[in-house]
Amino acid sequence: MKSAVSIRNLTKDFAVGMRGLKLRAVDDVSIEMPAGQVFGLLGPNGCGKSTTLKIALGLVQPTSGTTSILGDGAASPEARRRTGFLPEAPYFHRFLTGRELVRYCARLSGVGEDGLDDAVGRALELTAMSSAADRPVGTYSKGMLQRIGLAQAVVHGPELVILDEPTAGVDPVGAAAIGGMIAEMRSQGRTVVLCSHLLGQVEQVCDRIAIMDRGMVVLQGAVDEVLAGRDRHLIEVSSLTREAESAAREALARAGAVVEGVSRPRRTLEELFRELVTGSKDA
Amino acid sequence: MTMDALRRTHWIARITFLEAVRQRLFSFLLLLGAALAVSSVAFRFLNFGHGELKFVADFGFGILFLFGSLLAVVMTAQLLYAELDNRTALTLLAKPVSRSEFLLGKFLGVWAVLGVFIVLLCSILAGVLLTRAAEIAPVAEAAGRVPPSVNAAGLAIFALLQWMRLGIIAALTLFLAAGARTFLFSVVAGMLAVLGGQLQWLAQDLLTKPDVGFFQRSLAWFATRAVPNLQQFNIGDALVLESAGAPAGAAASALLAGSLHLLAFLFLACALFRRREI
Repeated sequence: MKSAVSIRNLTKDFAVGMRGLKLRAVDDVSIEMPAGQVFGLLGPNGCGKSTTLKIALGLVQPTSGTTSILGDGAASPEARRRTGFLPEAPYFHRFLTGRELVRYCARLSGVGEDGLDDAVGRALELTAMSSAADRPVGTYSKGMLQRIGLAQAVVHGPELVILDEPTAGVDPVGAAAIGGMIAEMRSQGRTVVLCSHLLGQVEQVCDRIAIMDRGMVVLQGAVDEVLAGRDRHLIEVSSLTREAESAAREALARAGAVVEGVSRPRRTLEELFRELVTGSKDA
Repeated sequence: MTMDALRRTHWIARITFLEAVRQRLFSFLLLLGAALAVSSVAFRFLNFGHGELKFVADFGFGILFLFGSLLAVVMTAQLLYAELDNRTALTLLAKPVSRSEFLLGKFLGVWAVLGVFIVLLCSILAGVLLTRAAEIAPVAEAAGRVPPSVNAAGLAIFALLQWMRLGIIAALTLFLAAGARTFLFSVVAGMLAVLGGQLQWLAQDLLTKPDVGFFQRSLAWFATRAVPNLQQFNIGDALVLESAGAPAGAAASALLAGSLHLLAFLFLACALFRRREI
């Protein structure tokens, strides 16, 4: 399987204080992120996720180890030309309109004047920002800032899109919309690397995940594999009467299955919220 | 530098310029400088025995240098730290933009704003000087004295020299900010460097004295090379008010030396910024 991002034996120490004490932020991390998939990088705050991504993008120098993006060295202009990046809690020049910002980023990413308007239009459309594109960025809500950030990250049609906490501070409806955009990018054949605390969303959109803790990778693999480890199965039924339940238990027992318990599954608060709230105008 | 690199630098400079002209410090110093330049005629009784036009010109030159230096130091450091602190630099440097292009773009944007500042203040100063010269001339002629004159072309050369001087200060501040951890340190160190540049004649003076020790001589020699001589741009009086003009080649020599210092500081800033962790 071809790797979009390859991280091998990566270690990063930061010097802290006047005496230069070393703080190990990333400790011998090796991750392969396959091309064409959505890869989730998970972990608590301060576990080294963002530092790992910054090193992969050539923004921070590693203490040891190597990283490559789409086969090129992480810091090479060619690798960055094929990559889009949305940093955590993005902040943009407030006086620019959304369209001006995306045009600016497109130009910096090497989009020529010929295809500029089309590229900007497509990025704004993908992120559902076309209607607010001519408003100054300073007037945007958090959700809109994330979406315009996503637009600037994809405007040049990158093969790899790295999103650092794209749903931070966004309401559940907005977060679901961003999840939809990530799925859309995957369907277009792009690789997406997603750093997020929304585990439910990561489970829905990611093909593979790596979980980091204290600078180390503690688990990585395909989402289905890492979650399907237990010998437990769920059959969801409606209109279950006492008679029907007894009959089902008997039938399952005859087939050699052991029914451990019957309960009423609860909806998650997120599911309930998304059912009731269809979306604010600026989500 | 490739055409693509030049385009990217141009776009970063353009956005930096737009951001800089929106800053309150720029508007405040420009308005205050303009108000002081216009009102300098009212303070002409403080001319300490010199000619009125010389007082007005010196007052204007002083405002230009003081406010321009303050603007160059604070704005350069502020615009770089705003990009780093707000993490817009992360977004830009994750694109195929080299750190040198980013830094040069920031510098060119600031330098363009400083150019606007100088052109506007010099235009106001020219208006004040020419108006006052026209008012004084008949009185001087009636008294049998040579009427005063203002050399507009000389003022344009002076403006160009000041633009170079502020460019050196901006490049020097960029060099300090590229390596420093805090905005405050960059501003304080930048202002001290401006003061050092104004007092560079002390080191030159030391070099001419025969009874100076080896260590002091070496230090003075280093200071004359490393610290830009900002005083060499103080030839406004000769350029604007004296009919003979400035000594031949003084402006060209100042521009050439200034260009070398400016390029050297930009090169050092880029070298320092390349290793900086964003």
